[in-house]
Amino acid sequence: MSDRELEEFLAVHPFTADLDESQRARLAKQARLAHYQPDEYLIQEGRPADAFYLIVQGLVSIELFVPGHGPRPLQTVEGGSAVGWSWMLAPSRWEFDARALERTTAVVFDAERLRALLLEDCCLGLRLVQRLLFLVTERLRAARLQLLDLYGPPRER
Amino acid sequence: MVKAAITTPAATNPFIPFPFVVMSRRRETRDTVTLRLRPLRNVRLLAQPGQFMMLSVIGVGEVPISVSGLPRRPGELEHTIRAVGSVTRHLVALRPGDYIGVRGPFGTSWPLQLAHGQDVLLIAGGLGFAPLRSALLSILRERWRYRQVIALYGARSPTDLLYRRDLSRWQQRPDLVLRMTVDHPDQYWRGQVGVVPNLIRQVAAFFEPANTIAMICGPEIMMRFTIRELQKHGVPDEHIFLSLERNMQCAIGLCGHCQLGPFFLCKDGPVLPYSRLAPFSDIREF
Ligand SMILES: Cc1cc2nc3c(=O)[nH]c(=O)nc-3n(C[C@H](O)[C@H](O)[C@H](O)COP(=O)(O)OP(=O)(O)OC[C@H]3O[C@@H](n4cnc5c(N)ncnc54)[C@H](O)[C@@H]3O)c2cc1C
Repeated sequence: MSDRELEEFLAVHPFTADLDESQRARLAKQARLAHYQPDEYLIQEGRPADAFYLIVQGLVSIELFVPGHGPRPLQTVEGGSAVGWSWMLAPSRWEFDARALERTTAVVFDAERLRALLLEDCCLGLRLVQRLLFLVTERLRAARLQLLDLYGPPRER
Repeated sequence: MVKAAITTPAATNPFIPFPFVVMSRRRETRDTVTLRLRPLRNVRLLAQPGQFMMLSVIGVGEVPISVSGLPRRPGELEHTIRAVGSVTRHLVALRPGDYIGVRGPFGTSWPLQLAHGQDVLLIAGGLGFAPLRSALLSILRERWRYRQVIALYGARSPTDLLYRRDLSRWQQRPDLVLRMTVDHPDQYWRGQVGVVPNLIRQVAAFFEPANTIAMICGPEIMMRFTIRELQKHGVPDEHIFLSLERNMQCAIGLCGHCQLGPFFLCKDGPVLPYSRLAPFSDIREF
């Protein structure tokens, strides 16, 4: 996959679409396109957080493996969203699993090179950190709403 | 032959229930059933999607329940009821052949005519799918009148999904975009996990915000977050309609049980555009 083709993916992905073209070109240089089969892991808990994933197409389950029960999905992430922010806080390890539920395509960034790029280009750095913060806020809000058990019977809520 | 006169509610006292008989009972989930009802007398209580009826069990009480289906034969009613307390527990336990009292219809209906020629976004959470199912059935019956039709549905878990037979039929339809999500999946669930407002972004490519009519029903917190997401996408407040199913009693705007700001939700609602509710949205009860 050429940088040019990767740039085209970044130009339409909501996470990067409104960055400048030159910023997307720089990002594309740190990226590769990856395909995952159903049940293939993008991320596994405990491993080094060494990548950032923009999901282009497919469905990914963020989950925890519970001994005796198997994977416990917590949220799903679909095409147009992103997976993983632990890489920003290096050195760190993944705290959850991310498993493809369907055939999934992602633009994958190498964390070390991405961190270096963001330090070098602070303007791009700030814009990406803002987007990540937005992502974290969105997931937190969703998790809080899930905690409320909104659809439970009135007395159990 | 002399035809028996058809009684319509306009000609009757709104406080007096009509006797109906349960024709069929379908179990939806652990605590929820759908009942099909037929009038014992020649009455036509013509309810529009979004409106509700007062269903009564003699000696137990009466509760508001939305219409959840379209009549297969004139005069029939379909209701989906979840057992949460004394009256609903009795209703859920009814069997074919049992009798029940019905008065209505009451309240406002979904703006189906306003949605003609527009994209339609139906967003349901939990039991909130009941009143939206009748809207969706009505829309699909006259599918050509609408542009994109999108239905988003969130439930607590896969076993809490209502209308599973409908859902699998609707998933096959090329002219309907249907997305479902659950909060708590089981080991067999391969679909989406998360809250309903998250689904809106996924279908954003299918609707034109300025030409979209959104209809929402679910727990009020879910509706609040859904409204914010629709606003972010540019759907105007006057195109966002909610069904506010507050506890109510008289159903005709007398007792004040269901008052929100200046509205008596039983008669000014349950379906209201958000543009009318927005000035009162700082009331903590909304
Ligand atoms: C316009 C309207 C349409 C409705 N449509 C449906 C429907 O299609 N299907 C259905 O199952 N229910 C529907 N409801 C809710 C239903 O009316 C209540 O569940 C019922 O009145 C409870 O009566 P009960 O005697 O069984 O329980 P109660 O003993 O009166 O109450 C049991 C518990 O339910 C809570 N509760 C009661 N009413 C409501 C309510 N409106 N919203 C949230 N919690 C409530 C009470 O606070 C209590 O915790 C609707 C309500 C309204 C106002």
